Amino acid sequence: MASPRSFSSPSPLATFGYKVTYLLHETLLGLRRGGWLNWAAVSTLMVLLFLVGISLHLAWGLEASVGSLGNQLQISAYLRPSAQAETLVPTVKALDHVVDVQVITKEQAWKTLLIDMGMRDQASVEQQFGQNPLVDTLRVQVDALPHLDSVAATLKRLDPIEEVAYGSQVVKHLQSLQETLRLGCLTITSVLTLATVAVITTTIRLIVMARRREIEVMQLVGATAAWIYLPFVLQGFLFGVIGALAAWGLVLGSQGVLQDLFGTIVALPFLQFTGEATTNRNWQLPLILLGMGTFLGTMGSLIAVHRSSR
Amino acid sequence: MITDFTTPPPLATEPPAHPEPHRDYRDFRGQVILHRVTKIFPGGTCVLDNVSLRINQGEFIFITGVSGAGKSTLLRLLYGAEQPTHGRVIVDNTELTRIRPRPLALLRRRLGVVFQDYRLLSNRTVNENVAFVLRAQGMSPAEIRRRLEPTLKMVGLAQKGHRFPHELSGGEQQRLSLARAIVNTPTILLADEPTGNLDQENSLLVLEILKRLNSFGVTILMTTHDPYLLSQAHHRLLRLHQGHLLEVSSPETG
Repeated sequence: MASPRSFSSPSPLATFGYKVTYLLHETLLGLRRGGWLNWAAVSTLMVLLFLVGISLHLAWGLEASVGSLGNQLQISAYLRPSAQAETLVPTVKALDHVVDVQVITKEQAWKTLLIDMGMRDQASVEQQFGQNPLVDTLRVQVDALPHLDSVAATLKRLDPIEEVAYGSQVVKHLQSLQETLRLGCLTITSVLTLATVAVITTTIRLIVMARRREIEVMQLVGATAAWIYLPFVLQGFLFGVIGALAAWGLVLGSQGVLQDLFGTIVALPFLQFTGEATTNRNWQLPLILLGMGTFLGTMGSLIAVHRSSR
Repeated sequence: MITDFTTPPPLATEPPAHPEPHRDYRDFRGQVILHRVTKIFPGGTCVLDNVSLRINQGEFIFITGVSGAGKSTLLRLLYGAEQPTHGRVIVDNTELTRIRPRPLALLRRRLGVVFQDYRLLSNRTVNENVAFVLRAQGMSPAEIRRRLEPTLKMVGLAQKGHRFPHELSGGEQQRLSLARAIVNTPTILLADEPTGNLDQENSLLVLEILKRLNSFGVTILMTTHDPYLLSQAHHRLLRLHQGHLLEVSSPETG
């Protein structure tokens, strides 16, 4: 038997080094023994984080759209097909809170539309669609956001004007959409969070059960609870990291598909998934997913370990 | 001579009347003290009834008694796997009453425990089973290597370091279990029927190892009901009977 007195204590750095090595080794061993249970835990976490990621992306896109639309102080007034916009300009300019009026004739609008649609041969298009179906439009600039509604109402009462459209209507529509989306996401996220923690807890508990004999021996020879259970907590943390990375990859990979899907369903093609509206927050997404993943992973394993060590 | 130990033996330094949990009692280094200990299980079974006992450092004690007499419970009280219903347990300067997990873990590093069923890790080799103890305590790989060889040599398993437990005989498995218990140089070794599954030859081999350890100053507390082993040992012998601890013989009385 070696004498404990002849034991020369290694440097604190070396001690720290082999303690970390031991913990990592035990964590990897746990992962290896977890088998398919690991994938159950990681994939549940991944699905949850993917949905959270998508929701966040959509919420940010909507938020940006609402923000940009809310700043627009412009009203579009569409005239009856036969009416000429120029005749109405002095009347509109004389209205209170109106700063500027711009005329867009139906010919200009038609030309712009054709260019936007990529059709250069105006004659052949007109042959297909008949005459220019558009109407003259007035772009009315208002001095402040609170006056948008009153000016729009006044414009609507003017005779040749048939329809008015302005940002705040879209903003209201988007805000209600945002609210619905937020509620839906919150519900799904809450349910999935509970399911994720339950799956991780079960996974770690099963791994702890499988290693019960070793844990018994460790307790018997004086290993501290932290030393015994830290690898399991690290394992939960790793589930979080892997789940978050996979979810982030999925979010990035599915952006194009989702843009098309939402464009079709919501018919708001200006909603941005990849554009400027969300680009400046893109770096936040992996951090949020990683934070949430590691938190849930660690929480799940802590619950499992707490129950097992009782 | 049979002495009933229900009356507590006089202690050189009496423990305080109201023990402070987890306090170190420097006067009881290497000793095992049970002071008016009663253990009643939740079902109402009284296993130990007002038992008092003092084992000095370097002593070799046998505890015998029929199955179910409470031998294992007594040992479990000593390594903190059970708490007494009443009374106090002091092991190697540490009061075990309401002991917290960390001081208990630190105490267990100074104890060695051996079981009848060996409790080996079947998926680890001989070397790994022994090294596992030291790794679990956070020792460096160099220190583990340094301790491994002499320990295995002492129990006669130096040549079988790479074998798995199922490749060893019963006697070898118990010696491996012993190696695991002593690799950490314990001050007290608790052996719960270590020869219960062994033939006479292997039992004597285990006894020899325990005697050698005892000669290094390790306090040994061993439970057994093997009359042959008891006849060979010539050590202090206590008997647990109906919850009472009776002194059957001491080396002096033979």
